Amino acid sequence: MRSIDIHAHLTPQCFIQAMREGREWHGVKPGEMRVGPRNSWTPEQRIDDMDSLGVDVHVVSTFSFYYYYERDAQVISAMHRECNDEVYQMTVDYPDRFKGMAIIPMQDVGLAIAELDRTVNQLGFVGAMIDDHVNGKTYDDPEFMPLWKAAEQMGAVLLVHQQGGRTLVRDRNPRYHLHNTIGNLVDRAVTFASFVFGGVMDACPDLRVCLCHGGGYTCFGAGRMDRGWQVRSEARVNIAQPPSAYLDKFYYDCLTHSEPALRMLIDTVGIDKVIFGTDWPADMAIDWPVSWILGLESLTMGEKEAILYKNMERLLGI
Amino acid sequence: MRSIDIHAHVTPQAFIQAMKEGREWHSLEPRPLDIEPELEWTPEQRIQDMNSLGVDVQVVSTGAQFYFYGREAQTIATMHRECNDEVRQMTLDYPERFRGFAQIPMQDVGLAIAELERSVNELGLIGAMIDDKVNGKTFDEPEFLPLWKAAEQLGAVIFIHQGGGTLVRPRTSDYHLPNSVGNLVDRAVTFASFVMGGVMDACPDLKVCLAHGGGYACYGVGRMDRSWDVGRLPQIPQPPSAYLSRFYYDCLTHSETALRMLIDLAGIDKVVFGTDWPFDMAIDWPVAWVLGLESLTQDEKEAILWKNMEKLLGVDG
Repeated sequence: MRSIDIHAHLTPQCFIQAMREGREWHGVKPGEMRVGPRNSWTPEQRIDDMDSLGVDVHVVSTFSFYYYYERDAQVISAMHRECNDEVYQMTVDYPDRFKGMAIIPMQDVGLAIAELDRTVNQLGFVGAMIDDHVNGKTYDDPEFMPLWKAAEQMGAVLLVHQQGGRTLVRDRNPRYHLHNTIGNLVDRAVTFASFVFGGVMDACPDLRVCLCHGGGYTCFGAGRMDRGWQVRSEARVNIAQPPSAYLDKFYYDCLTHSEPALRMLIDTVGIDKVIFGTDWPADMAIDWPVSWILGLESLTMGEKEAILYKNMERLLGI
Repeated sequence: MRSIDIHAHVTPQAFIQAMKEGREWHSLEPRPLDIEPELEWTPEQRIQDMNSLGVDVQVVSTGAQFYFYGREAQTIATMHRECNDEVRQMTLDYPERFRGFAQIPMQDVGLAIAELERSVNELGLIGAMIDDKVNGKTFDEPEFLPLWKAAEQLGAVIFIHQGGGTLVRPRTSDYHLPNSVGNLVDRAVTFASFVMGGVMDACPDLKVCLAHGGGYACYGVGRMDRSWDVGRLPQIPQPPSAYLSRFYYDCLTHSETALRMLIDLAGIDKVVFGTDWPFDMAIDWPVAWVLGLESLTQDEKEAILWKNMEKLLGVDG
């Protein structure tokens, strides 16, 4: 049994080194960001932990804290290149254990395309991880279309993942970790809707978008989006089919923290669209992710293998 | 087969009259009426439509656009009394067809309690419909606890229904998403606020019904449980999912699989019939929809359509 984890993060060693030495790093001042113990592990320590979890491959993404879309694009572009080079080195040192997911400066679509192109075509990355929005703009905004076209042409995977703490829920109730436990999931549903209702999935039929956290509330809530599409003309400006018809155009990680939710996701989007993702090393990750999947009573062995590695191998073309 | 609809709105005739006559109404400036034609219907016209839909009873709630929590409390308390008196008149004129929910001025908890008490004890209404938030405050705020205690003691049903400005709006106002996604996330946050704020522990007999099937509450509870597992919710003795069965939910999911999941997670005795009459986001043929669902047993359909609601109303003998 193999397992390939599409949702596993990295705090770059280059950042940790700079902070330890008290150096500013691409505009980040020493002390500006806290780093947990597991986040500062070396690739070798990470591999030890992967072994204990039964995870064969991490598709490594630099943490969402490093998006910095609101800062100067050139500065962040240089930061992202350094992050991506470090991830690349991990894939070179341990080609059987690591694949790369880039971070790209979305505040400048031209620079974002250039870095996606470099990471995918020169560094061999799978694609890039991006936020649910860019300084308030959602992905139906026409300014992003060249990026989707470029990603489609490259065969890159876009992994959508919120920036910690900054979801839609924070303004209503900042307590109880709801910005994460509800916020991540609603942000993902809005992103699904932005891609679909904005006509992006029609314009880019081969675009590969993977929605983290099981796509959030998308699959459960598609019925009400369909109703909105049926009765509201503003929901039909770009699309000729109801939003639920687009559910199987996306990929989803399995990070639902609920067996019935995962079962519903599989039944709604198709088993070939659900891939293994754990959120390593966050506390909101799945504790024993491979065991969790293997132990799910409502999934067949064929479904478990599809999730753990087969779908991802197909996506990676291996 | 009976059917009792917990989610059906009314626009007060008093408001309609005032607007048509160009009169101010409880601080509302006169303006051209811009409401669904059905909302101007008389109770008799409404009953004809209910007959065509197979709906026997509507628990009528004055529309969410009349919350006005942002306005002066005394003025709105007076408005809400007039709304509630009109709803009461419908229940008197057609006791077999209408029950009522009150509007209560949530911007002043004392006034809200007083109007809830009057509505339940004097007017015979079954509870009150309220927003997911009050001027930015959620229901875990301690200032609301006296209201929950009063509702619990009165046996009142608190029906939660957003009043515009859902959480999605700051990100996008396009494609009807503030409604189609926003209503559902607002309801999940309200579930979480009641549970994680300790309200459901403090008020074990409080009856809260979450409109729109409770939104994303049931589907998303696994992730809330995870945050309890890792020690982020020390104030509650059980994981959030243990509280799912403490709430009621209407069946307005617009999805059979979602409704099936809601039943399986919350319990069939917690799901009641609700349609959102007369809005475009309502279920078109609601009784026929429930009756036609292949994944529900006949008993489950009857529980949803009327038996659970009769139990909630205390009319099941």
